[in-house]
Amino acid sequence: MTRPPLTANRLLILCILLAGCGTTAPIESETVPEGLGEVTLQRATSTPLAEQLLDVGIVIFEAASDSDSGSFGDWVFAEVRDNERHLLPYILKNTLQESAQWGAVRVLPEADPSVHLSIIGTVLQSDGQQLELRIQAKDATGRIWLDRLYYDRSDSEGYLPPRTLRRVSEQEMSQIEEPFLDIYEQISNDVLAARNQLTTQDLETIANVALLVYAEDLSPDAFGYMLNTDTDGQRTLASLPATDDPMLQRVQDMRTRHHLFIDTVDEYYQALHDQTRAPYMIWRSYSSEQLVEEQRVREREQGQGERQEREADQSRYSSTSGYLTLTQRYDRYRWSKIYQQEYQELAAGFNREAAPAILELNRQVHGLNGTLEEQYSQWRRILRELFSLENGQ
Amino acid sequence: MRECSDMSLFLPVNSGQTPAMFSFTRSCLLLVLMTMPVALAAQDDLPVLDLDRPMRLDFSGSWEKDFGRSDRWEDELGRMLRLRQEQAVRQQAGISGGGPAISIGNINLSSSRAGASIIDLARLADYISRQTTLNIHQDREQVRIERRGEAPLICSLKTGPMESFASEHGREYCTWENQQLLFIISLPEELVIQHRFSVSADRELLRMQTSIRSGSGAPFNLLQTFIRYDEAAESFDCVLTLSRGRVCSQSGNLP
Repeated sequence: MTRPPLTANRLLILCILLAGCGTTAPIESETVPEGLGEVTLQRATSTPLAEQLLDVGIVIFEAASDSDSGSFGDWVFAEVRDNERHLLPYILKNTLQESAQWGAVRVLPEADPSVHLSIIGTVLQSDGQQLELRIQAKDATGRIWLDRLYYDRSDSEGYLPPRTLRRVSEQEMSQIEEPFLDIYEQISNDVLAARNQLTTQDLETIANVALLVYAEDLSPDAFGYMLNTDTDGQRTLASLPATDDPMLQRVQDMRTRHHLFIDTVDEYYQALHDQTRAPYMIWRSYSSEQLVEEQRVREREQGQGERQEREADQSRYSSTSGYLTLTQRYDRYRWSKIYQQEYQELAAGFNREAAPAILELNRQVHGLNGTLEEQYSQWRRILRELFSLENGQ
Repeated sequence: MRECSDMSLFLPVNSGQTPAMFSFTRSCLLLVLMTMPVALAAQDDLPVLDLDRPMRLDFSGSWEKDFGRSDRWEDELGRMLRLRQEQAVRQQAGISGGGPAISIGNINLSSSRAGASIIDLARLADYISRQTTLNIHQDREQVRIERRGEAPLICSLKTGPMESFASEHGREYCTWENQQLLFIISLPEELVIQHRFSVSADRELLRMQTSIRSGSGAPFNLLQTFIRYDEAAESFDCVLTLSRGRVCSQSGNLP
């Protein structure tokens, strides 16, 4: 689970990759290698302008593969990360909603053509003590609002002890502050800062393009020519349909139906978040506690100057010291392994508790098959077919 | 009572059947159709033969040490020392065994830079293999050997060496050598512990050979034999959950 902290090399590589991947000029693109410190969420003090109320879709996060962890049995931590990538977007969604700066904010199984702004994230590190996310925000025109790393550490007071957490009620649990709230608030503030750099006309263009992107997704033949997409994925308007265009009216009807569907999908993510909030908090508390303990043991061993002590012992007690040395060496291995096994057990315990909620999430949409992600794709296909039928295509 | 098998399911169009007979035939047909999914489902329950999955002997079960058939570390150490002494004496007398020259020093009677003394290794072997019972769980994916006071030894059933544990205090690998299961634990300063498990074809005997080597010195081997015993079936299945602690239910009825 543990990963090295951000180094200059990693940042350099990331910068090179970012420079190579997109020629679009992001409004903001920088990295934050240090912890965030205290962040204050910028809440709207008055109702934002209508064009500022963009619809935001947060796609469930990706989980970075941990290539340096290859021991048999580590799959259990991969499963924890897989659960986390479903849970963390919901915390970001709540934060964005709390800022009251946006239109509808939804968690989605994949990038959605109907939203104005998409937020895509990757969980790079999460162990209870540290959280590192890579977040990219991109609007419907293909403009990248931000693409950066967010890293923060929770202090030792960030969690209540696991035994205390086990006893708190559901109501009390919902009052406990998210230990990494600063990260989500910083993301919210950064996205807001990016929006504030845009003109009203930019925001209107985003809304218009988003509508046509959705229309093109439904019927590429009817609407495809209205959008120009360059090689970098930047979209511009070639033309706009008349406001009373009946086809456009039908697209808007379909989009309303689609939004009802994705609102339902979002509710399932909320249910997942609510049901797994307690075990996830306890898991992170355990994990943090164990990491602190591990660090303490390591420091103690280093401080004692283990090697000198062993050599001194050996000279004092002939062969008995040899046996003691060997058993100590074996016991250190033995306890480190017992410790790791317990850690895996706890991780498995969290996965076990999250499993029914994940299962429920994937079972909710009746009549469609497969995981929620697959069902979402099926729904979009059904809407496209429906649109074709309605338009006699 | 008539049986369905008496009736032909392939009736000619004008077979001269009475309505009652036709109704009975239809009932049989329905019965066959209704039971077909059950039969198909039962067929689905059959394990699919996976030719890529290596065949492994079954190590699972509860095992207790058979002291009569297990080495005592003192005896094994004495035997080892005696053999070496005899060999050294033979060499001194000019009777060559064809192998390299043997001296008592080669077996590390005392600690040296080459590694720990054989006596210390023998005592460590006894310390490591002090458990008198083993519980082994094996499924289609992995084998898990549980010993009191130790973290379980876990290995996949797949072929090829794999790292089963790694920390700054040691690394553990496991692999299969034919039908023997091998765990190799590398500790700091070239202390290597090896556990080799083998099971008899009738699954009544389990052997665990522990071999400890320090540096380039001679290894100390300790062989232990375990016999199967029937542990009383657990009446509860328990799993660890984070918010509710250990949750138990009656066997075969997990929540």
